[in-house]
Amino acid sequence: MRKISTAGSVFVSVFGIIVLVFGIMEFVVLGRYGVEGVCWGPLEMSGMWLWWTGIILVGAGIMYMSSANNFESNIHQLAKSVVASIMIWIMAGMAIFDKVAGSIPGEEVWVNPPADFLAGCGPPFTPAIFLLPVSLVIIYFIRQRHRASPNTSSEHLVEE
Amino acid sequence: MDKILLMGQANVGKSALFNRLTGARVIESNYPGTTVDYEKGRMLVDGEYVELVDVPGTFSLEPKDGAEEVAVRMLEEEKRATVICVLDASKIERGLYLVLEILERGYPVVVALNMWDVARDSKVKIDAKRLEQILGVPVVPTVAVQGEGIKQLVSRISEAAPVKVAGVIKRTGGEKWNSLLTRDGT
Amino acid sequence: MELTIDQRWDLVDRITKETVEVGAYKHTLKDAIADITVRPKTGIPFAIAVIYGFWMFFSTFAGFFTDGFLVKVFGDHYIPWLGSVFPGKGTWLFNIFAGNPAVFQPGYAGDICFEAGGVLTTGLFMPIAVVLPAIIAFYLVMAFLEDIGYLPRLAVLIDTVLHKIGLHGYAIVPTILSLGCNVPGVAATRALETRKQRFMMMVLLGVFVPCGAQIGMMQELIPEKIGFVFIALIIGYFVVGYILNKIWPGQSPEMLIDVPPYRMPTRGNVWRKTWMRTTSFLRVAVPFMLLGCVIVQLLYLTGGMAHLGHALSPVISGGFGLPQETVAPLVAGFLRKDLAVGLLGGIQLTGWQMFSSVVLLSVYFPCLATFVLMIKEQNAKEFGATLGVLAVTVFAYGGILRLIGMGLGVA
Repeated sequence: MRKISTAGSVFVSVFGIIVLVFGIMEFVVLGRYGVEGVCWGPLEMSGMWLWWTGIILVGAGIMYMSSANNFESNIHQLAKSVVASIMIWIMAGMAIFDKVAGSIPGEEVWVNPPADFLAGCGPPFTPAIFLLPVSLVIIYFIRQRHRASPNTSSEHLVEE
Repeated sequence: MDKILLMGQANVGKSALFNRLTGARVIESNYPGTTVDYEKGRMLVDGEYVELVDVPGTFSLEPKDGAEEVAVRMLEEEKRATVICVLDASKIERGLYLVLEILERGYPVVVALNMWDVARDSKVKIDAKRLEQILGVPVVPTVAVQGEGIKQLVSRISEAAPVKVAGVIKRTGGEKWNSLLTRDGT
Repeated sequence: MELTIDQRWDLVDRITKETVEVGAYKHTLKDAIADITVRPKTGIPFAIAVIYGFWMFFSTFAGFFTDGFLVKVFGDHYIPWLGSVFPGKGTWLFNIFAGNPAVFQPGYAGDICFEAGGVLTTGLFMPIAVVLPAIIAFYLVMAFLEDIGYLPRLAVLIDTVLHKIGLHGYAIVPTILSLGCNVPGVAATRALETRKQRFMMMVLLGVFVPCGAQIGMMQELIPEKIGFVFIALIIGYFVVGYILNKIWPGQSPEMLIDVPPYRMPTRGNVWRKTWMRTTSFLRVAVPFMLLGCVIVQLLYLTGGMAHLGHALSPVISGGFGLPQETVAPLVAGFLRKDLAVGLLGGIQLTGWQMFSSVVLLSVYFPCLATFVLMIKEQNAKEFGATLGVLAVTVFAYGGILRLIGMGLGVA
């Protein structure tokens, strides 16, 4: 049994806590402000899907944290983090898609001019978008594992 | 040649192969049981158009569900058909069972060892040459979704001929043959 | 020469021994991911994320085309234009093809797209502007999930729940197919093993599973209530499934399905599948939709609708607490559910009435195409039972929804 001391273990534990906190925050917001939600600076939490994304964030957070033990040596632990990351990618991907698709058609014009389009794509963002860049770090660990055991060269990553 | 039937278990890529062979458009999916009814199309074999039928997936010729019944009925109605038997190369056992059943009924068979790439990925090595020797029918590795091996498969359809199962038994090793035959007698 | 089953397996064994060599198998990341996505503890949160992604893609994609562009094309340009150039305002012909003349008055405040009602106006608006984007979006995600190999894993996950109603995880496949269109969903029940399972599945699909076209229409008209519509339908799916499993004779044996490996979907196959399913859907849907518009308009013009509304008012108004006008969607619902929901958009309803009408429309009758297929697939007894379940469900839902509405003080 290895201890939680490697970079990967530290990363998934810390990031897992952050994800979990975001998830819990969504429930707190929903409880206090309802679907109206809140907008704190660039961070937005609102809408009827809040409880749904809250569940996903809590789930992903716990999955990250539980993968900390033996993170580098046990492929199942790494895979758990990968699946948690995929969950965040799905949420962030859809949030970005929503922003982009929502900013193209204009009120008076068919297609918004570039300036309006960019303004539409700007903040506020949902938690998943903030978590996205950090969650991409997991790709580094996948690569690292790949390098460590070259005989698993046939291993593909499947999800998006 | 009368007709060609495409047979095999569910989710071994029959529909993908069908689309490759006929240029037709049948729904292919990565889960068992997508084709519940049969599809027909035409394919070119040695410069001649032949009808190709995509039979629903069947595990054996003892039907268990509606789709399998369709499969068995189709085979029984087409006495003069040639059968392309599609196997999942990563687990050929079950497919071979079906191949044997079809051979026993006297149909000419070509075996497509499909999903060759999946087998390779999961470190399963199949000696296709040896398999061909044993079965006495053409055996062609294919990757239907990517279109690999399709040409070779088509070019060998004409080689299909009925074989005796007794011969297959003999070719798997003489001394054990006796034990099988004695059991056959009981 | 015929072998026995044992002999055949024996032979298979010997052949594989000679030809197959299984290398030292190493658990890859892909295998580990496959494992994690079927284990309940990790698989359920992941499934929730996938369903979320599915729905978000669906609603964003459909909203982009429908609300972003097509509603404007039809509402601001095409429909007013057609109303102005179509000859013979005030004649039957105008009413049938362009629709109710009142909506073409300058300064009309209502939603012209839904309220016109003509074959060439609303009749084209609904399939092209609302249903088509929804269906394409649905089939795109579904093709992706199918090809990547996620659906059978969802089946494994959901197996425990479905066991309670005598079905197996595999039942999720016809159910999900039905969410696109009930017709292929009902056809897919052939892969189920026993008659009992097939019958139960067909009933549940026909009664409780709304099709993609209808979902698209609901998303357009009542996006804020659609979640509750789904909850109402899911409850029915399990309750009726549970009861049918108890009372309908027959077996529902365990079903074994192979979970295929995850694979990267090929773009060609995803597109091709989406295209094929969309076109075959349009072939089934559009003629019925146009025909439905003609019938509804004719019934209005001849006064038949008023009679029908009057005749059914004890049930509709007395029983369900809905206005008589909802008889028009009910008539249209025999042909197409999406048309029926769309017609609700042209009627003045309170929020609760709208919600219960949508739920009732969902359960009261499968669309004609599904109905015909069910006649073909079922025997007389099963078909009779299907109709019985339909009738009971409609009245139960109508009554319960009214009671809940009264309890909430909104009905």
